[in-house]
Amino acid sequence: SSDDIMSTKFILKMAAVQGGMVDEKEEVDIKTEPQSDGLMNTNATDGRQLSPSPSSSSSAGSSKSAAGAPEDQQTLLAVLQFLRKNKLTESVEILRREAGLPEDALDTKGADCSAPSSGGTAGGVDGLDAGSLLSRVAVSSSAGTPAPTKVADDQPDVSVVLSAYSQQGDPALYKVYYSDLKKFIESVLDCHRAELSQVFYPLFVHMYLELVYNNHESEAKAFFEKFSGDQECYYEDDLRVLSSLTKKEHMRGNETLLDFRTSKFVLRISRDSYQLLKRHLQERQNNQIWNIIQEHLYIDIFDGMPRSKSQIDAMSGSLAGEAKREANKAKVYYGLLKEPEIEVPLDDEDEEAENEEGKPKKKKPKKDSMGSKSKKQDPNAPLQNRIPLPELKDSDKLDKIMYMKESTKRIRLGRENLPSICFYTFLNAYQGLTAVDFTDDSSLIAGGFADSTVRVWSVTPKKLRKVKSAADLNLIDKESDDVLERIMDEKTASESKILYGHSGPVYGISFSPDRNYLLSCSEDGTVRLWSLLTFTCLVGYKGHNYPVWDTQFSPYGYYFVSGGHDRVARLWATDHYQPLRIFAGHLADVTCTRFHPNSNYVVTGSSDRTIRLWDVLTGNCVRIFTGHKGPIHTLAFSPNGKFLASGATDGRVLLWDIGHGLMVSELKGHTDTVYALRFSRDGELLASGSMDNTVRLWDAAKAFDDLETDDFTAATGHIHLQDNSQELLLGTYMSKSTPVVHLHFTRRNLLLAAGSYAA
Amino acid sequence: MSAPVMIQILKDMGITEYEPRVINQMLEFTYRYVTTIIEDAKIYATHAKKSTVDADDIKLAIQCRMDQSFTSPPPRDFLLEVARQKNQTPLPLIKPYCGPRLPPDRYCLTAPNYRLKSIQKKVSSAGRISVPRLSVGAVSSRPSTPTIGTPSAAKAGTPVSLTGQRFTVQIPPSSQTTVSKTTTPFTPTVSNVLINPSLIGSKNILITTNMVSQSAAADSLKRKHEDDDDYDAL
Repeated sequence: SSDDIMSTKFILKMAAVQGGMVDEKEEVDIKTEPQSDGLMNTNATDGRQLSPSPSSSSSAGSSKSAAGAPEDQQTLLAVLQFLRKNKLTESVEILRREAGLPEDALDTKGADCSAPSSGGTAGGVDGLDAGSLLSRVAVSSSAGTPAPTKVADDQPDVSVVLSAYSQQGDPALYKVYYSDLKKFIESVLDCHRAELSQVFYPLFVHMYLELVYNNHESEAKAFFEKFSGDQECYYEDDLRVLSSLTKKEHMRGNETLLDFRTSKFVLRISRDSYQLLKRHLQERQNNQIWNIIQEHLYIDIFDGMPRSKSQIDAMSGSLAGEAKREANKAKVYYGLLKEPEIEVPLDDEDEEAENEEGKPKKKKPKKDSMGSKSKKQDPNAPLQNRIPLPELKDSDKLDKIMYMKESTKRIRLGRENLPSICFYTFLNAYQGLTAVDFTDDSSLIAGGFADSTVRVWSVTPKKLRKVKSAADLNLIDKESDDVLERIMDEKTASESKILYGHSGPVYGISFSPDRNYLLSCSEDGTVRLWSLLTFTCLVGYKGHNYPVWDTQFSPYGYYFVSGGHDRVARLWATDHYQPLRIFAGHLADVTCTRFHPNSNYVVTGSSDRTIRLWDVLTGNCVRIFTGHKGPIHTLAFSPNGKFLASGATDGRVLLWDIGHGLMVSELKGHTDTVYALRFSRDGELLASGSMDNTVRLWDAAKAFDDLETDDFTAATGHIHLQDNSQELLLGTYMSKSTPVVHLHFTRRNLLLAAGSYAA
Repeated sequence: MSAPVMIQILKDMGITEYEPRVINQMLEFTYRYVTTIIEDAKIYATHAKKSTVDADDIKLAIQCRMDQSFTSPPPRDFLLEVARQKNQTPLPLIKPYCGPRLPPDRYCLTAPNYRLKSIQKKVSSAGRISVPRLSVGAVSSRPSTPTIGTPSAAKAGTPVSLTGQRFTVQIPPSSQTTVSKTTTPFTPTVSNVLINPSLIGSKNILITTNMVSQSAAADSLKRKHEDDDDYDAL
């Protein structure tokens, strides 16, 4: 009977609320439904006495919270109905009396269920949360149409209600629901089909996980076998993991899957396509699908043209779906911090020429053009004191002068003027090279190895020396000019130094900007700080208790970021033994961590195929970028701070506009994992190095110039991507079976590459 | 469990490229894991006074091993809560002019991880060779490479002058000839030997060597304990 249908559906909905899977907004709507009664059925007035609002719950005799009361109410009613069905009339009477339910509880139950739902339709906001609106609409409209198949016909209502995680009906019928939906989507117009097909993968995975979680192993296996082949090819790896997961116990240790189950998969669908879907599900009694969708999916509706398959494919692939538009709306200060004014001396011998601005000099040195000429604050740049940064020491100022001198000699790169590439090949590393870094002035190179050692080499003819011991230091003349040479112990000069300390393969290496320190992170869960003056380990930072995959020093020193298997990235300062910030939010391991050039933001790439930009000041995630189909291994900021490039195991390099939060370009060409990315010093070129033994150069200036900026103002959340990878590719350079692990542009725009020879 | 089965498992998991030794390693691991589980399960079964091992015992064994060896990272809600708390505190201000910015010495690996102990003299037979023993005691519980003190003045602990410190090193008569050729073996002489001060920081240690005469072993020896509290204070 339709009453049964109503009750079942409403019970299921209530059970979903009970399970805590519905978000806050929806719960609020349910509670306020009785007040907004636009469309009223005739039996609504009666039903309202038992509507699940706080006032009525007291009449039911319970003083629990409003959210708890309707659920209990419905449970009791379900039990009553069950007893009634089984002709246990005495028990029915006793239960009714004890629970304090009014006599007509059962009779008006049907109407009761329809009323709040229908009442909510007009009052409900026609907005972003499609799931709740749809379910309300579905329930009320099906009140009008009599009788099609009751979903949980062969199961008593009470067991549905009492099942722990809102069983969503008979497991054997999952296949039926899914095939029905499949048939419908295959029959829609082409332009909508691509968008609606997005729903398949999350629905499939969630239904499968529901079956596994509720211990329906054989149904789960059958369901998987039937439909896993239909999914998109880029989900292949995920499906393989799922196929080995057949019991609830298997899920226990897998945090990624547990997170996936409890988070909402975001889909972005245009309004037209969404209307189609809604209409279809109003006609049929596909409530089970609706409950699942409502529980596990978040449909972000946008007004605009439906997207094509290629557009969707470009942005999908991540474990959490795409990014909601609100996630990318926060203001990001992507501008660079102002450089301090330092006067560059004309003469090279003039050592003490550096001065703060304003002091007149005898030789009239040329004022440097590196510092900003205008005193006005760039609106897109953070304030100087937004985050505390270490002040410049004298040695830092000398470094800056060197930097400016080198930059005047920099080669201007471009389409016509490609850089020379110098490849540093690590021989006899036996596949053990896991991380490489160069200092900014390209004087030192460090390698992290799978045998847990870190080795530092000098790139220039100048050898590496340790500082003298304390006793010897007492003997030197501290006032002499070359004191920095005298503190070095000549006896220890060597081409390379080996640093021992880690107890697992070293996965990340980073030099400090002042070349005094080296950071390394390893599988043993620690990040170690090494001194490059004494070549000994100074500190071991313990916090991740699981392998740490990447670490990097801030461009101003003092801060560093690390990311690891525990799915978080941590911000540390060298003088604190505990992290200062924890960036939590990824569903899977954090595989790559980078600082923005202004040190106010940290970007992390993860195995869940998303990239997140975090604010160092607050620890909040300000941008989410999806589109890669594999774990992200490398990230690079453009020197002007506006754009981000990312490379992953799918071989694509994606370019993102940080300010607007959009993907602006897709560079296809590599055939294997992209392990290294680097912008040239002026941002003209992007170099990418990959496991396919090539280094490719891309025209970054053109990629960013060609953007149609009116697309940016559209609120759709995506822009039309041009398929211009071939035009942007400036050159492909093969190495002799050496995968490229690291890239570095010297200050004069010579490209250095590093890799380990794999015979 | 044999190699073809393992190859099939690797294929099912989508692993197509691997060195041939991987199969052996995987088989060994599987054998070790399964025997550990079954042994644990047997223990649980006997504890529950059951005659045979059943599925519950195995489940319990697996669960306990999971919590012990194969731990998984903390769940997301816990991480989000910890992150929320950590991210609320403002970033600390940076003190200017600090030299190397490192955590307090307790958390660093810069302390010496050895100390020199004096020998307890046991004069039983002069023929015994007693050699100064260096005890490598861990000052901090972390393994580290012995570091040379950093040139900067960032040192904890008050420097103690040790110019008056002496500790004696007993050299057996047989090696006396190598030590000094000028003195006759049986006259006790004292010679100062300067140990490489870089081992112990900037303190100079005087070591007096006593030639032990066989007859007067008991009284002629001057034994002074070096004060090794100084090292603890470092």
